[in-house]
Amino acid sequence: MLKEMLTLLKKQQKQASLSVDKLEGEQTSLKEKEFSRNLQGNLSILKHLYSIPDNKDIKLRELYLEGFNRQAALLFISTITDVKSIEENILKPLTENTSSDKKVKDIVAIQMVHEITLYKDAVKDINKGNALLILDGEPKAYIMDCPDFQSRAIEKPESEILIKGPKEAFNEKAVANISLLRKKIRNENLIVEAVEVSQRSHNDVFVLYIRGLANEKLIDNIKERLGSLDVNSIQNLSLLEEYIEERNYSLFPSILSTERPDRAASFLEDGYIVLLMDNSPDSLVLPATFWAFFHSPEDHYLRFFYGNFTRALRMTALFITIFTSAIYVAITTYHAEMIPPDLLLAIAASREKVPFPAVIEILIMELAFELIREAGLRVPSPIGPTIGIVGALILGQAAVEANIISPIVIIVVALGGLSSFAVSDLSLNFAVRLTRFLFILSAAMMGIYGMTAVFVGGLFYMVSIKSFGVPYLAPMSPNYKSSKDTIFRRLTKNETLRPGFLKTTDLQKKTTGE
Amino acid sequence: MKLRSKMMKVIFLTAVTLSLSGCWDHKELDEKAYVIGIGLDKHKIEGKVKVTYLIANPEVGSQQTAGGANEPPQEIVTLVADDFISSRNTANTIVAKEISYDLLRVLIVSEELARDPDFIRIIYSATKDREIKRSAQFIVSRENAADFIKNNKPKIETRPHKFLELMIERGQETGMIPEADLNGFFRVTESDADLYLAIYATTEKIEKDEAQTTDDDLLAGEIQVEGTTNNAQFIGSAVFKEGQMIGRITGEETRISSLLDNTWATEDILTAIKDPFDERYKLSIRISQKRENKYKLIPEKGRPTIEIDVPLFIEVYSDPSMINYAKNREKVKELKKSLTAAIEKNFTEFVSYTQQELKGDTFDLSIPMRKEFATLREFREFDWMKTYPDAKVKVNVSIRFGEFGRQSKLPKLEEVRD
Repeated sequence: MLKEMLTLLKKQQKQASLSVDKLEGEQTSLKEKEFSRNLQGNLSILKHLYSIPDNKDIKLRELYLEGFNRQAALLFISTITDVKSIEENILKPLTENTSSDKKVKDIVAIQMVHEITLYKDAVKDINKGNALLILDGEPKAYIMDCPDFQSRAIEKPESEILIKGPKEAFNEKAVANISLLRKKIRNENLIVEAVEVSQRSHNDVFVLYIRGLANEKLIDNIKERLGSLDVNSIQNLSLLEEYIEERNYSLFPSILSTERPDRAASFLEDGYIVLLMDNSPDSLVLPATFWAFFHSPEDHYLRFFYGNFTRALRMTALFITIFTSAIYVAITTYHAEMIPPDLLLAIAASREKVPFPAVIEILIMELAFELIREAGLRVPSPIGPTIGIVGALILGQAAVEANIISPIVIIVVALGGLSSFAVSDLSLNFAVRLTRFLFILSAAMMGIYGMTAVFVGGLFYMVSIKSFGVPYLAPMSPNYKSSKDTIFRRLTKNETLRPGFLKTTDLQKKTTGE
Repeated sequence: MKLRSKMMKVIFLTAVTLSLSGCWDHKELDEKAYVIGIGLDKHKIEGKVKVTYLIANPEVGSQQTAGGANEPPQEIVTLVADDFISSRNTANTIVAKEISYDLLRVLIVSEELARDPDFIRIIYSATKDREIKRSAQFIVSRENAADFIKNNKPKIETRPHKFLELMIERGQETGMIPEADLNGFFRVTESDADLYLAIYATTEKIEKDEAQTTDDDLLAGEIQVEGTTNNAQFIGSAVFKEGQMIGRITGEETRISSLLDNTWATEDILTAIKDPFDERYKLSIRISQKRENKYKLIPEKGRPTIEIDVPLFIEVYSDPSMINYAKNREKVKELKKSLTAAIEKNFTEFVSYTQQELKGDTFDLSIPMRKEFATLREFREFDWMKTYPDAKVKVNVSIRFGEFGRQSKLPKLEEVRD
């Protein structure tokens, strides 16, 4: 059956790749044409392309320009353009102009004016919120820069919450996001390149890096990957992530997603590459190592000891999440002699009336916990607190009283669940939560021996995988020259090196202070 | 594509085989009966033993809500078996759960069985069973082990494992009972150079006419206790030579043994010793060892000399003669001299007792002595067990005083009585 599914999947992929070659319904042949001298001819083609008058927010304004003594037409999409600017900076100067030897460029009060000759370019720019001006008798058109997309304002981060540190977060407008980054890196070498990644929706991905720092090969590799995508539409970075990552079936994430501009900026300054996109309230940082997911910017914002204390806590929490349930299962089913007698008897007593083996018990509770978590996430906010009460109180208390679950299991699962929240990165959080089940199953089958085997196997795997050519556990293993910001951080003034695995042009980022 | 389907197959097959074959030692906690102690007694028929199991009831005392409040904290099963390995299954004809030795804390052997030359054959089964830990303590009971277990009913620590654990731990701290784990028994028996001490305990009371004159020169059962407490007493040791019990020593002798022994740390010996300033009274002193003993062997023809330096740290807690020695250097010197002499005398007496009566040392003397020999063969040819009784043993005690109680000064008797 699996085989059939796989062949089906492959067929679908083939079909998909075929259809991209010729985008049906896109009127590609029309777009390839050039503007003619005849205004009415040009307009009829544009009307055809934009389905005027069916398409209600496409505005076509025909006017007579006295100064040029010519008929003209202005075309724009009213929902994504700055209508006021069109009125005041384009229409008004044009109609009030009386001299015939002035050029269009000199009349309108618009930042950027391009001249184009192909319909293809015209369509592309109009779709980006620009206005198009055509004059009768000219085989070209003017593109005037006046986009105004609706979006929300810059708000506080919601998933990467800090107590100390900047409180701005990316929003869905790439321009605003780039502005936030430029605010932090005032350097002309911060390059913002745009790569179009989809054919129908024309989504742009902005590739940000610092020229002269970031590894050129890496930049080329990423641009190549982005350019070779053959897709109709990629709405945002979360979707893009899956297209460009190397191991789709891996449990561990290989691209870091952050909604904090300060974090993205510090990665840029270290020579990483950041991807931005419209409609994404976050950025992608690559390549990403395990440590990037493990760290939080607050580790550096807090004082040395406080920051390292949180790091230690987070590492402990990580291991608690992965191992508590599994250790409970392993010890109670295989290694009872390891438990101190008082605890052993207490566990035995509490399990006396429980009908299930320890594994099933743990799995039931883990599942319940995951359910509460998922339901709590999706539930409309007015009834959110209710879910918490129902989940925690009714499920936990009643399950114990009904002798379905022993109270110790509640402690074990709750501890693991609680600790999992300390791993703040969503992707790593999922990875940790899923590996936990792997460990529970191995513990149930072969005790501590099984757990050790899976742990060793997992370590082998983690050491072997790479993110854009960078080993996952670098710079710890394999060892690279770096500031050794792994489990613990050093004093900020001692963090003098950029990570060696990025092969940046300039390794030193500050003097050693000697 | 082909590779992937092959991989799928491999993963699927390994998953199936694992799920079919796994769970070898799997046993849920609540499906086991936890044996805290095993009692061994002689049976009329040769080759058979009476095995007594002391099984803990996990539901008592560990949880408020678990119920079972009306159940007894322990269950005792005595049956006749060939050894205490095969008896596990026999016991399951009475006990519903699988008998588990996971929590086995003590092995209790009756004095009668321990003195049997065949005892060693029985006890060595403990090395065969995987679940029996070598850290289990070894107790010899004056009466039958079955009776000891039956009569041992602690009033406050009703859970048997807790009582035994605390009782033995505290007894070892005060030096009244020896550190006696199974591992030590096998080690001493196999090295065949020293004597092994097991904990001596009883629930029987020995009525003695004479008034009790010491607090620790006694054996289990001899301490006169009144009140509503448990009737088990843990004091003194059973002495084993070559895997067979040959005698017993009192609590005081056990303490001396512990002080002479470097491998064995006693922290809290409170005892009384004759007041050098007034014959009628006794001084309460607390002895501890802060530094290690030093041993020296001077080989001479026929009769080697052994010198043992025992540094003691002593705190004197009473002054019944009200002599106020704490503030008087001369008196302290006098006190030190008399204490040294008294303790040295006790030590020497005990050593000569072990040489003459027990024909072996009870304080692991062969361990520090091994250093004196160049090779193991030399040591073996020396034959410690045979040589020790004839050796000249000299014990030197050196005393360092700690504080003399919280308040070192006492009022002058004449002034108070004025």
